[in-house]
Parts: sequence; structure tokens; C-alpha cells
Amino acid sequence: MTNDTLAEFSLTFTVSGRTVACAPDRFVLDAALAAGLKLPFTCRRGICGTCKSRLLSGTYDMKHLGGIRPREIESGLFLPCCSKPLSDLVIEK
Amino acid sequence: MATETLQTLLARRQPGHTLEAPFYTGAAIFEQDLDIIFGRHWIYVAVEPDVPEPGDCITVDIGRHAIIVARDDDNLLHAYHNVCRHRGARLMQAEKSNLGNIVCPYHQWTYGLDGTLLYAAHMPADFDTSCHGLRKIHLKSMAGLIFVCLAETPPDDFDAMSAALTPYIAPHDIANCRVAHTEDIVEHGNWKLTMENNRECYHCSAAHPELTKSIFAEGFGFAPVGAEAVAQADRFHDMVSALHGQLEKIGVPSREIDHLDDLVTGYRTERLPLEDAGESETLDTRVACTKLLGRIADKRLGALSLWTQPNSWHHFMSDHIVSFAVFPLSPETTLLRTKWLVHKDAVEGRDYDLHNLTAVWHATNRQDSDLVGKAGAGVRGTGYRPGPYSPDTESLVEKFCSWYLARMAAGLAA
Repeated sequence: MTNDTLAEFSLTFTVSGRTVACAPDRFVLDAALAAGLKLPFTCRRGICGTCKSRLLSGTYDMKHLGGIRPREIESGLFLPCCSKPLSDLVIEK
Repeated sequence: MATETLQTLLARRQPGHTLEAPFYTGAAIFEQDLDIIFGRHWIYVAVEPDVPEPGDCITVDIGRHAIIVARDDDNLLHAYHNVCRHRGARLMQAEKSNLGNIVCPYHQWTYGLDGTLLYAAHMPADFDTSCHGLRKIHLKSMAGLIFVCLAETPPDDFDAMSAALTPYIAPHDIANCRVAHTEDIVEHGNWKLTMENNRECYHCSAAHPELTKSIFAEGFGFAPVGAEAVAQADRFHDMVSALHGQLEKIGVPSREIDHLDDLVTGYRTERLPLEDAGESETLDTRVACTKLLGRIADKRLGALSLWTQPNSWHHFMSDHIVSFAVFPLSPETTLLRTKWLVHKDAVEGRDYDLHNLTAVWHATNRQDSDLVGKAGAGVRGTGYRPGPYSPDTESLVEKFCSWYLARMAAGLAA
């Protein structure tokens, strides 16, 4: 399977009521911003935690740099700026 | 009166007497207290169980100095000013948090738990993050009691105090305790009135019916005069000797060490017997927590009384610790912060009842706060003149004052 045939996942943002497509190799924040959503962010590298959001369903691959604690992740929070989807995601934003 | 300098007031202080009114009410001396005493000495701020895990942070205000104490991912403790290096905003507002990095809520400047600036958006290419880390504050832990010093060069005698006191504290194993309860009280008096009130037990028999069920007033600087008082004190001293002999034999240091007024970092400690069952400072003198601290096997360890100048006192028992920190808020208001510590595995409702654990000092704090308020109200009026301390029962109050005055004089000379 080549990259351009990879299926896109859907990202549903429950507060703004928008659903956008996201390629599996794309960061969730980037896909949302490209689709015109206005989400809070600063560093885009997983350091500052400004984009921290609650995930209501789905799985993802996150590579953060200390901007979120393990116990926050356990409680359902993640950083969209440094996370790629592994399934469809429902995000409380 | 208002224009008299600190120097004049220090020079004419009558030994053995309370201080003149400006020391308890004046804005100028309050500022000098914050600068000289709280700005240049080791100040007790917290216990290690306040920040037990990596990422744990607490905020503490020492007068106008707002600080953060944090534990990093290598388990090292740090203290720094709670002020962003960008526009000066207060970084952390909550008393307690668990964080990955410290992010300023204003423009999201992001600092690591060791205070280094990790990230600042929209700054020029030549901006040097390494010059804009959080301003660090000296921090030392004495067997789990956390002290900070705001001065660039702190007093160099902390380690000597720590070496002397750590063997006394060690059996109570603070690192493996949990803070079961914290209580903040604002007292309506200068911080020195709060400290002076703590440094004597002259007022205990009338003011503290709950506390005196377990403690002996003789344990706090009592040097009696008169046959009856001497006989009572002799009985007490026999109990002290018996307790010390028995405990020192099993490796629990107990004998008095008093450096309240002859060191820059002043302190005092002594393990004191308790009344009746002799186990703990509770209403029935028995342990409040059935899970004993550290590797303690004997409930009857008495109570280790430990004081540090200028702002703390502590009572360590076999089952729990009560720890007190004093922070000046204004010339005539003071924060008294009390923490009750139990073994970290002790479960409320099974091993201890929180009300029973806190009942004695909860009541005693209120009584003390009321007395400090009365003293504060009295020294405010024009009728106040310095009064004499009792050489029998208030020698340790005098030591607090003589330490304070000597440190203020040294601060002025520096």
C-alpha cells in the first residue's frame, strides 16, 4: 500500500460541531487548522501543552516533549499538535 | 516614634522585655523583616510529602516573594521565583499541581521542572533562552523538611544543623509520610507575636485544655523558682531522663540541643515525655494512627519538639507529625500553616480518624490565634510599653527575640 492510498481517518470535534479528514501520517492539529478550525496552540512540538484536549474516543500515536503528564494521558487528555490518528477520533473541542 | 530608625530601636532594646511597638506594627520594620530575616535566612516552607512525585509543584508565598517548589523527573527538588521571565506574570496560581512543564498562562513561555526556559514563541532568532530560565532559589531538605533561602549567598551553617537534627527526625521517616490534612489560619498579629507565643508554655495551662492533656508545660523552657514548682519540675526532669535513657539506648536520639540564639540558622530540639498513656498529642494521649511511622515499634516515643528560627516548629510522635510554618502577610497579619502527616500507607477510617488526629492542634491553633490577636490589638494602642518576660517560663521567648535582634543588626551592618 502506498502513502497516497492510505485511508484517511475522520476527526470529529464535538464543541465546534465539525468533522475533518486526517491522513494517518498527519498531526491532528495540522489537519484541524488546515480545515479552518480555530484551536489553541503555541509550540506545535508537544512542549507547552497549550493544545491539550480531551479525547472522547479513538486511538492515536503521540510523541510529546514533556507538555503532558502520564496521569493526564491516563485521564483521557492528549496533545493534538504531536499526535497522529490510528483510528477515527472524537475530540472535545 | 514613627521616624525612629531600626538602628535606634535595636540599640535601646531592654533585654528580657517584649519589643517596642514599631516591631509589631510598623510598615518600615515589616519591610526590613521581609528583607533581612525572610530574605536572607533559611525559611521552612514545606515537607517532601507535599511534592511526593515527579512533576509535583506547590506555590508558597514568603511575604511578597512568590515561589514554586517542584520535583523534577529525576526526583530532584527545585525552588524558583513564581514569576515569568517574559512579562513578569505569576506563572502558577494553584497551590498544588502536577505538571510536565511549567507554562505561563499569559504567552505560554514554557519552562522545564528544573526552571530552564524550553520554549518561547515569536522571539527573534538571536534570543538566548539560556539567559531566561526561572530565577532559582536555594533549597535544602533536612530529612524531608524543605527549607529555601532567597539570598544569593545563604547562611553556611544549614548543613551543620541538618547533621545534628537528621538523626532525631530520621526514625519518623518523613519521606514515607503523607499529608493527611493542612490548615491555614490568618492570625491578627505580627509574625513575631505568633513566634513568641509558640516559644513558651506559660499560657498553656489556662489556654490549652486539649493540648495539656498530653504535654507537660515544663518541656518548653521552664526554669522554676519556689519549692512547689521545683518539686513539680524535678518529677518532670526524672521522666525526661528516664525517657532519654531508654530511647537513646535503642538508637533514638532524644537529648536537648539548644542553638536558638547562638547560630545564624538557629534551632532547638528535645524529645519530651507525654502524659498518661504517653503515646501521642491526642485527647486520650493514645496514638491517633495505628500504623506507626517508619520502622517505629514502640508507641511510647514521647514527642520530639523541633524548632527552627525564624518560622517553624514541629512535633514528631510515633504515629504522626504535626508541622507548623509561619509566613508574614502584613505588619499585623500572619499566616500559620499546619500540616498533619501520617504513614503514607495509612488509610483514613481504617488506621486513623481525621477528627481525632487533628482535634488537639486544631483547637490549640484557634486558642493561640485568639491570643496572638489579643496581643496584636494591645500593642497597637498608645498604652503599650514593653513588658518583662518571666525568667522561669519565657527564657526561650527571650532567645527568639535576641536571635531576631542580632540578625537584624547583622543585616543592617551588611
